Amino acid sequence: MKRRDFFKTAAVVGVATVGSSAFGSDTTTRQPIDNRPISKINFPEKRPMITYSDRPPLLESPREVFSQTITPNDQFFVRWHLPEIPTKNDPDTYTISINGLVNKEYKITLKQLKEDFEQVEVTAVLQCGGNSRSAFQPTAGGIQWGSGAMGCARWKGVRLSDLLHRAGLKKDSEWIGFNGLDNAAYYQTPNFVRELHLSELDDHVIVAYEMNGEDLPYLNGYPVRLIIPGYYSDSWVKMLSNITVTDKYKSLFFMDVAYRVPDNETESETPDHKFKTTKPITTMNVKSVIGFPTNGEVVAYGSQLVVRGVAFDSGIGIKDVFVSVDGGKSWNTAILDDGKAGRYAYRGFRYSFKPETYGDVKIMAKAVDKLGNEQPLAEDIKWNHGGYKYNGIDVVTIKIV
Amino acid sequence: MKKIIFSTVLALSPLMAQVSQEIISPDVTYTLKEGKGLDSVQANCSMCHSFGYILNQGKQSHMFWDEKVHKMINAFKAPIAPEDIPTIVGYLSTAYGNGK
Repeated sequence: MKRRDFFKTAAVVGVATVGSSAFGSDTTTRQPIDNRPISKINFPEKRPMITYSDRPPLLESPREVFSQTITPNDQFFVRWHLPEIPTKNDPDTYTISINGLVNKEYKITLKQLKEDFEQVEVTAVLQCGGNSRSAFQPTAGGIQWGSGAMGCARWKGVRLSDLLHRAGLKKDSEWIGFNGLDNAAYYQTPNFVRELHLSELDDHVIVAYEMNGEDLPYLNGYPVRLIIPGYYSDSWVKMLSNITVTDKYKSLFFMDVAYRVPDNETESETPDHKFKTTKPITTMNVKSVIGFPTNGEVVAYGSQLVVRGVAFDSGIGIKDVFVSVDGGKSWNTAILDDGKAGRYAYRGFRYSFKPETYGDVKIMAKAVDKLGNEQPLAEDIKWNHGGYKYNGIDVVTIKIV
Repeated sequence: MKKIIFSTVLALSPLMAQVSQEIISPDVTYTLKEGKGLDSVQANCSMCHSFGYILNQGKQSHMFWDEKVHKMINAFKAPIAPEDIPTIVGYLSTAYGNGK
C-alpha cells in the first residue's frame, strides 16, 4: 500500500468510528454490562451473587459460572416478581390443586407426586427473557441484567400431562393457568399468573421437585416449579400451587403486557415509534456465553489458554460454536461436548489457543443452531421496549502481559 | 441410647426438606440520595420493592421515570395519590436523571 493510500483508508476509518460512536452512545445495542460486583451478603442456600434487590430477591450469576454446563444450585440466578414470598413451605402438607374444567378438583401432595406418577428427568436451560437487557440503548424497562440471568440444571419431577390426565380434562379445555404462592403487597396488584395454551404443553413440560439431585432451593421455587424446556423462564412458575383449566383465555397483566415483543419479523421498534401489536416471547433464540476467561483477566504471554463457555437454543440443537480471537476477522471451530445432556441443555464448548500478541485481546463466541440460525453481532440487534431476547455474539477482552 | 436415637432423627429430617426451618432472607440496604421528595418515594415505593429497583435503572429522563411511576399505578395498582406523582417523578428525575 502506498503511503497516500494508507492515509486515505485511515481517514475513512476515522470518520466511520467517530460517526458510529456518536450515534452509538444512544441507540446502538452493545455488550451487556459485565463484571458487576458480587454482593458481600449471601441469600439462603446461595453463595454471594450479583444482587439487584432483596425484596423481591433478584440475584445474578457471575460470568465464571458459565464455564460449567450444569449451574450449581447455590449459584443459580433468582428472579421473583412479587415481594411476599412464604418463608416456610411444609413438604408434608404442601399440595397443588388442579381445578376448573376437570372432572373434579384434584389435589396432589408432594408425596403423591413422588410416588404415584412416573418420575422423569430433563436437563434444561432456564433463562429470563430479559437476560442481558443492559445491552439495549436507550435503557429498556426492567432489571438491567448482565448475562447471568440464566442457568442449566437437571430437573426431576412428573409430566404435567400425566397430572392433567389424572385430574381428567373436560372436552372444552384449552387454556391452563399456573399460579405460585408469591403474593403482592396489595391485593389489587395482579397475581403473577401464567396462562398457556394446551398445545404448548407437550410431554417435555414437567412439574419438578428436584434440581441437580437436591430439593429445589427455596429461592428457586421450593418445593415445586414448572419446567418448560426451550421457553424463556417467565412461565416456569415457582412454588407452584394452583393449576386452573379453562376454555377461554383470561386477560392477565403478566400475559398481556409483560414479556412481549413487537409482533413483526425483526421483533423490533424504536422508542419513538413503538409497534402496536405484540406477541409473547415464548421460545429462546440461539445464544452462547463465555465463562472463561472473564473480562479484564490478565494472562501471561505464551501461555496456552482454553476458552470455555456454554451454548444453547430452544431445543433445535447447537451445530457449531465459533471463536474469534482477532476481533471477528477469522472464526475457528470450538470443540463441543458430547451433547448427551440433551437438546434443552447447555452445550459446553472449548477452544484452545496461545495468544501471540501483547496487550488487549478480544475473544468472541458465536453459536449456530442446526437450522443455520446464528448469533448476530450486538450492534446488529434492534431495540425492543422490554429489552427482551438479546443474543448478541459474546465478547470478552483480556490482557496479555 | 436416648441421645443416639435423637441424633438419628435429626440426621433423617434433612431428607424430607433441605431447609426445615423458616427461611430468613437478608435485608440489603439500598440508599437513595437525599433530595426533595425522598420522603414520598420512601413512603410509596418501598411498600412493594427495594430501592435496588430504582438504582438499577441508572440515570434516566423525566419521561422514563414518569412512565415507570404510571406503570406502578396502572399495571401494579400501587395506591399512589395523584398529588404525590409529580413529587416522586421530580425526585427521581433530579436524583437519578440524565438531564433530559
